[in-house]
Amino acid sequence: MMKPELESQRLNAFVDGELDLARQLEIEAQLVHDARLQAEVLGLQRLRAAVRRHADYHAAPAALRSRIFGQLVDERPAARRDLSRWFAWRPLALSLTFVALLAWGLGLMLSWPSHDERVLQDAIASHVRATLSQRLVDVASSDRHTVKPWLSSRLDFSPPVQELRVPGMVFVGGRIDYLDGHPVAALVYRQRDHIIDVFVWPSSHADDRLQTATQRGFNVAHHARGGMTYWLVSDLNRDELASVARSLDVADAAR
Amino acid sequence: MHEMNPSEDSGQITNERESRRRFESLALPHLDAAYNLARWLTRNEHDAQDVVQDACLRALRYFSAFRGEQVRPWLLQIVRHTCYTWLKENRPAEVVSFDDDDGEPRIETAAPASDEPQAVALRHADRALINQSIAALPIVYREVLVLRELEDLSYKDIARIADIPIGTVMSRLARARALMREALQPGARPVLRTVPRSPQAGVK
Repeated sequence: MMKPELESQRLNAFVDGELDLARQLEIEAQLVHDARLQAEVLGLQRLRAAVRRHADYHAAPAALRSRIFGQLVDERPAARRDLSRWFAWRPLALSLTFVALLAWGLGLMLSWPSHDERVLQDAIASHVRATLSQRLVDVASSDRHTVKPWLSSRLDFSPPVQELRVPGMVFVGGRIDYLDGHPVAALVYRQRDHIIDVFVWPSSHADDRLQTATQRGFNVAHHARGGMTYWLVSDLNRDELASVARSLDVADAAR
Repeated sequence: MHEMNPSEDSGQITNERESRRRFESLALPHLDAAYNLARWLTRNEHDAQDVVQDACLRALRYFSAFRGEQVRPWLLQIVRHTCYTWLKENRPAEVVSFDDDDGEPRIETAAPASDEPQAVALRHADRALINQSIAALPIVYREVLVLRELEDLSYKDIARIADIPIGTVMSRLARARALMREALQPGARPVLRTVPRSPQAGVK
């Protein structure tokens, strides 16, 4: 039996996704049988989600921002400037401030996808784990009327489960996975030798158009529709994956 | 008159200008992260502003030594250091030297018999309660929690910023979360009850 402090640290690292693959898998295997461990992991995940959702993020006040910019301008070597140069400097300083503020604003906008970036990493990791561990599905069935209720009874939402009208596409089944701090549905399809994981969970975000990315040789497609967010991960090529995502979208719309 | 020695003069100014320009474009986009950390460590707006301003000046001074690492951890490391220096001068009781193995209270890993009460508490826990509980953590736990949950930094980056080994990041983070869960239980006992010999116990 592991010392309680160590076990607690191990579970925290597990929830943070900071364990190496072998140890992550070890805990996942233990989780299946150990209700106490499950409760502990769930408690940590809930806390993590609550802190991330509710804790104040203190953005720098505008006064501080202008104080620092002012200071940077003042720090410029005054002794070496004559008057005409000072006047030449002022518009430059102002425009620098403006550009920096603009960059900051843009940075804020652009930094939003960093959450997506994290989900992307998690989704790929989860896909790799599932394919490596041969635990592709918890419920193996090509019948979506079997898979959907199975998933619904284990999640606090009912994921849309579709059979895709894509040539050669086989629906393998579904499993439960953890992504973005909560349990999600993973629908597994197979085309030729390629495994396609479709992660689905409810999101409060507005609909999002299809985006694709490639990382570590895996292709990822993401979109949100009707209050559900979808992440597709596969070694299928990018265009094919995008068309799978689109047919998912169509199937969903026709539902 | 600078015209007497134009080449040296303009060269120097160009360097300084270039260095500031790089600083402005690389480091200042992380001003929010800098302020957020300082604000959580000092727990006060004005002090946080002073600390961040001071830290930015220091950062600018060290910036020439900065070689294309990640900017945010680098800047946060300076902010954290500046915070500690400031706290040592102004509120020494908050930064008493801290030995993780010494007097560390046992960590409760046993889950409540049912997870329900805690789940309900967390669902209902409002912003104020969560903020209060974080603010009430001893500073060494507070900083790892803030860096992890609010800045979403890796253990490795946190270790670098807080200047501690990764093992210590793990133990402090586990302890921080255990304290938070305790504080967020319904009818919670005072947050810091289990931390012995901690002079700031009870201070909000």
